[in-house]
Amino acid sequence: MLTHALDIVTSAGILYVVALGLLIIFGVLKIINLAHSAFLAIGGYVAVVATEFHVSLWYAIPIALIIGIVIGAILEATVLRPLYARPLDTILATWGISIVVVQLITLIFGRETQFAASPITGAISIGDITYSEYRIILLGLALVLGAIMVFLFQATELGLSARAVIMNEGLAQAMGINTRFVRFFTFCAGAALATMAGALITPLVSIEPNMGLPWLINAFMLVLVAGSSVISLGWATLGLGGAQVLVSTFINPIIGGLTIIVLSVLVLRARKTL
Amino acid sequence: MPKLTHTRRQFIAGAAIAAGGAAGGFPAVSRAAEPVKIACICGLSGVNSPVAPAVVQSGQLAVAELNEKGGILGRKVELLPIDDNSDASGAVKAFNSAIYDKKVNIIIAYETSAARNAGEPIAARANMPYIYTSPYEGGACGANLFIDGWVPPQVEIPLLKYMVDEKNLKSWYAIGSDYAFGRGIIDFAVKEIKSLGGTVVGEDFNPLSSSDWEPIFTKVRGEKPEAIIYCTSNGSPNATFLKQYKSTGLDLPVGSFSIDELTALKIGESAEGVLYTADYFTSLDNPQNEAYLAAMNKMFGSKLLTPSNLSVPEYDAIHIYALAAEKVKSVEAAAIIKTLPTVSFKGPRGVIQMDKEHHAALPIYLAQIQKDGSSKVIKSFGLIDPGNQCPKFS
Repeated sequence: MLTHALDIVTSAGILYVVALGLLIIFGVLKIINLAHSAFLAIGGYVAVVATEFHVSLWYAIPIALIIGIVIGAILEATVLRPLYARPLDTILATWGISIVVVQLITLIFGRETQFAASPITGAISIGDITYSEYRIILLGLALVLGAIMVFLFQATELGLSARAVIMNEGLAQAMGINTRFVRFFTFCAGAALATMAGALITPLVSIEPNMGLPWLINAFMLVLVAGSSVISLGWATLGLGGAQVLVSTFINPIIGGLTIIVLSVLVLRARKTL
Repeated sequence: MPKLTHTRRQFIAGAAIAAGGAAGGFPAVSRAAEPVKIACICGLSGVNSPVAPAVVQSGQLAVAELNEKGGILGRKVELLPIDDNSDASGAVKAFNSAIYDKKVNIIIAYETSAARNAGEPIAARANMPYIYTSPYEGGACGANLFIDGWVPPQVEIPLLKYMVDEKNLKSWYAIGSDYAFGRGIIDFAVKEIKSLGGTVVGEDFNPLSSSDWEPIFTKVRGEKPEAIIYCTSNGSPNATFLKQYKSTGLDLPVGSFSIDELTALKIGESAEGVLYTADYFTSLDNPQNEAYLAAMNKMFGSKLLTPSNLSVPEYDAIHIYALAAEKVKSVEAAAIIKTLPTVSFKGPRGVIQMDKEHHAALPIYLAQIQKDGSSKVIKSFGLIDPGNQCPKFS
């Protein structure tokens, strides 16, 4: 029983970490960032390079974060900013970015699967069971990230501006809010969260140029269900991720793999307005 | 490394097609001097990607050795590595390209079962000789299809006998990837465990696309088996499986049908203790293996990827093909298909002949993975028959 509960909360935590960057970009910029999966891969390859230089993953994570900020800043300024008036074109643009990034990774690292060293491979005892220590750590990180996000949105001036942009960008601009900066900052933060998530999941998966794709689909559905709130993303990952774990455990993992997508479609169908 | 050079005649012929748009046959004379082309179709991308480059290296050595001795029937031999993305749709493209575009003489391929099942009908329609070099779930039969890797009875019976009888592990949990190879291997294992007097308390399959094994490990915990047997696809899924297994803290004996020496080395500590059987290990003590390893080292130096039972069959198969062509004095498809089962080659694994219903009897060894990821051979089972894989060819 305890193991099932741990499976549910840790799986939700992992999904939360992976989907967070996609959510804040979708929430504030109203852009579906299809380059999210490529950003995840960049994070994964930061971990690969760190392994090659015998640097611990704990250092690779902040490095991935910084690289994400830099890449986000460059792409926002050069590719996305001119397209804000044409939201549909941003889908094409971010998809294009993703193809370019994946090809660049392939050119540099090759197509084959890589392995990154895990800082933690063991298990810890909780009650009378043992459980993956890294999954527990990821859950903790997800909670911390969620708390930081809530704090940023609710308690800072930037968050207030961001919420104003989410509600009504035109009005926010008329009130003197620098929406351009809010957009820039949000995209950088979203990209950085994605690259960091890519590095964070490396102890659980193996790394290849398309490693982000399977995650993108689930993250995308979760974000559509959660809308623009970092708190509802938490509930969405817990509900849908939890359902996935339960279906995988009690029915079978093959149907489990479809759970998030099917439930998301049902939730979206049942909801009157987005 | 041998360069894939193109002769001027080929270039002119290609240019002629391009200019004229004609696809008519060339006179036999001009073809006689063309190289013998071997397509090495393998998953250079996708799940097999950690292993496939080593397969190509093995093939390159075999081709270099043949060319050094004057090629096949006096013609130069060329190896064309073609990526099939480790899946069915990639294989369809790769097979069509090899047969109709590159016009190869034979396909000698290391692939996933999904890719083989998609590619074989294309090769069969074209009556293209096809040697499949992967270990696989068994029962793939085609008049043009030959297999020099292991099938379940060869590795599963020895490993399970050892673990169930000698190690006295009676209660099992079986885990596989959800596709032909994983399902076939695990189905066989479950039957074998039962016939050895063991019980299987749980059996689960994870989609190939899934990288989360945690829900299955949670079920394992609940069922409390004495040992685990698993079979993912070759290569990277072993890493996700074993990494996540290690982190659960479950400390049960694990038997694997999908891991190989090279992948184990890459995974390292997380694979420690895993038992597996195979038809080849680098530590095998025979003159052919020594010569093979020395030649591989000389050819690839620091770029050498550790050979394994997944890559050596490519080397053997190319030599078997050359022997068949020399024996029948032709590379014509029908003649090759008839002759392939009649020749044997003494390679690093021992004497290989695909005369058992298009499959081969193989020497089988048991190994345990050490803390540094290396594989230590702990037992030899001798030559083991593949059983009745394709009774129609007996």
